Amino acid sequence: MVFNSYTFVVFFVVVLGLHSLALPWRVKKINLLLASYLFYALWNPPFILLLWLSTVVDFYMARLIAGEQRPLQRKLWLTVSLVLNLGMLSYFKYGGFLLENFTALLGAMGIVFQAVKPDIILPVGISFYTFVTLSYTLDVYRRKFAPEPSFLNFALFVTYFPHLVAGPIVRPEDLIPQFKTPRTATREQLTWGLFLLSLGLFLKVAIADGLLAETADTIFGLPFPVQPLDAWTGVLAFSGQIFCDFAGYSTCAIGVSLCLGFTLPENFRYPYAAIGFSDFWRRWHITLSTWLRDYLYIPLGGNRLGAFRIYLNLMITMLLGGLWHGASWTFVIWGALHGLFLCVERLARDWQTNRRANRPERIADDQMISRASVLPGISQTHPLSGFGLALLTFFLVNVTWVFFRAPTFGGAMLLLLAMFGVIPNGAPMLSNVAILTVALVTVGLVGSHWLLRDSSVLALSRKLPWWGLGLAWATMLIAVILTQKGSGSFIYFQF
Amino acid sequence: MKPANYAKAAWLTFMLILTFVVGWESYWRNQHYELSYNDDVNLWAATRQEIYQSSPARPVLIGSSRIKFDVDLPTWERNTGQRPIQLSLVGTSPRPVLTDLGNDANFAGTVIIDVTEGLFFAPIGSFPEKAANERVKAYPRWSLSEQFSFQLNRLLESKLLFLDNELLTISPLLKKLPIPDRAGVWTGPKFPDDIEVVTPDRQTIWTARFLADTSLQNQVKHTWLDIMDHSPKDPLPAPLLTRIMDETKHSADQIRARGGRVLFVRTPSDGLVYDGEKHAFPRAQYWDRLLVHTQTPGIYFADYPALSQFHCPEWSHLTTADAVRFTEALIPIVRQKTGWPISQRSATTLTDSTLSVH
Repeated sequence: MVFNSYTFVVFFVVVLGLHSLALPWRVKKINLLLASYLFYALWNPPFILLLWLSTVVDFYMARLIAGEQRPLQRKLWLTVSLVLNLGMLSYFKYGGFLLENFTALLGAMGIVFQAVKPDIILPVGISFYTFVTLSYTLDVYRRKFAPEPSFLNFALFVTYFPHLVAGPIVRPEDLIPQFKTPRTATREQLTWGLFLLSLGLFLKVAIADGLLAETADTIFGLPFPVQPLDAWTGVLAFSGQIFCDFAGYSTCAIGVSLCLGFTLPENFRYPYAAIGFSDFWRRWHITLSTWLRDYLYIPLGGNRLGAFRIYLNLMITMLLGGLWHGASWTFVIWGALHGLFLCVERLARDWQTNRRANRPERIADDQMISRASVLPGISQTHPLSGFGLALLTFFLVNVTWVFFRAPTFGGAMLLLLAMFGVIPNGAPMLSNVAILTVALVTVGLVGSHWLLRDSSVLALSRKLPWWGLGLAWATMLIAVILTQKGSGSFIYFQF
Repeated sequence: MKPANYAKAAWLTFMLILTFVVGWESYWRNQHYELSYNDDVNLWAATRQEIYQSSPARPVLIGSSRIKFDVDLPTWERNTGQRPIQLSLVGTSPRPVLTDLGNDANFAGTVIIDVTEGLFFAPIGSFPEKAANERVKAYPRWSLSEQFSFQLNRLLESKLLFLDNELLTISPLLKKLPIPDRAGVWTGPKFPDDIEVVTPDRQTIWTARFLADTSLQNQVKHTWLDIMDHSPKDPLPAPLLTRIMDETKHSADQIRARGGRVLFVRTPSDGLVYDGEKHAFPRAQYWDRLLVHTQTPGIYFADYPALSQFHCPEWSHLTTADAVRFTEALIPIVRQKTGWPISQRSATTLTDSTLSVH
């Protein structure tokens, strides 16, 4: 079920009611576990078997790994866990993609091979919960911590409904310790949790679905070129939509969990105020980027094996990060572009560091003119130059979103060429209302991200008088009511 | 902020929302808007679930808006004892739905296909197929959660007027802002507000306001002309038309092979709309050929005095009262034309004039 549904409202009221009863802690956890299975099963009941399989296998594999001293045996148990999780992910998510490319490869070699198109339905949330369970077995293998002795705690860690289908991707240390002692939300946590749930719904329902989705869908669905204004409006609409949709889901998840007394890790930190791509990935889908850093980039060698390997590792991490989002070459290109921008940024930073290291301590006033360059070094500390760099980052991020959203490579190129005016006489497609709406939302989004860049909604709410907070809260919910159901599903469910 | 202040903020929020909902609902009621159900993916899917109970007395209706207006479901039920299953979609070609029914191995019911030529013969993959394709694709994935939400929403929709997705949400309200369109941009047909309502069984009915107001009717007439202006002018390429005919025949054959029944119906239109349709889709090349190619019976309204006596207030759809009379006249013609075992329940008599053909 999705957070923006009447079913969830009823479900949440019942779960909250059960959780606040004076029941033993173990019973409350069993309630939460059963509720989480129900939450998942109401999509497609048979897929719950995959969730159980992943939970049971990883629980026992971690125990076997921890109890084994022989390196080869430990590797064997880890391999069982990796093969199961990555195998499930590969079959359900990449089965069709692999077969399609295999067929194309054979075709290129002159071998005619006509495969039956597999009719595989992607189980909701599989990309997320396989990463959750994988981090557990990998951390036990690395002896970061001992395996969790309680199956109930482990199963609840994997299945806990707020994060189950679209993250945040939790780590064992985020959640398992919280299940060990009885917890109920304080009054403040409950109120703040409800506020966050409202904020998440506002982002998803009112902004992403209500104001942006239609424009983005129109422009990305066209098979012919449009005018630059239309192309940019469509891309900016998607840029806002993907943020509000995904950050909206994460905010709902964090809010719902807080109402039950559990905290989930932050997943977004005002990414459209990022200065540079490394900063962007510290702010966008934080739990995925840290997962990729800890379980892919660092094991590949991270920053330790020299300059060439740093760039190679960055590219591999981002390519696989792109592929994680979807089984299509457009996602690989999206990842490659992010990898490329990260490499360029690192090169520029290294160059700047070297230049500073070679510079004399002090420059005399009369030497200043001779040292000035055509492109003066941009200071990130100055608010205006920082904002300029943030806008540059936002611009480049938007370019990458074209590949993320376009259904085909050809469609992405068509739109990019239209954006930069390379294709003349594109068709005007959008109304003034649509263009104005997207422009206002984009300005509001980038502006609010910049203002909150080093702060938080919580800090802002503490500064507001109670009636100001109430007014803002009511405005968001009224916007949700006015938008009503929206599209229902969240974009990241398909990943 | 102290916890107590959070509680105060929450109470203020609650009071403001309550005030807004009451005020918003009252406002639209005072504007004399009529209650309408959202004709969305969920309502279509809920109706689609019923197709396995289909019979000649309870046909599945597929088509576009005309059959949603013109076949009055309560009248059909009063005459045959069963209410049809309405799967037609406004502004949409029925072909994707026909393909879906043909591919459904469990479906062996009766299908009546409404033919509005401009939509039925729309090119494969074109815009008029979009809404139908979306629904056909979404139906097998209609989750238990969505079904439960649909039932709750239906309950609320039956009481609250402002839960009207078509007219009273942010997106349509923004489109009503007095901001002129860009030059060269056609953003689609602009129908006046509050002219039709959708019933829980997906029939569409004109509002009393529309039926009483000829200026509204004229606005809709202008909208049809606008749509015709923006429609393709070239005739359908011959290979594409043949492919459409072949695919239609294939689906009809699939249904018939399982013991099902298929019938085409051409519901009334008049004025410039009918003239335009006759010009763009000559009967011999489209309707007559469709019946021959698919070896399927068909009822063309103009062939029967009992079906061609009506006047469409905006050239394309019947009034509610005429839909009742049209349905009463249609049932015996269907029976006579097809021999389907449709039981007779009402006092409607099969007179010669009802069944006569021009």
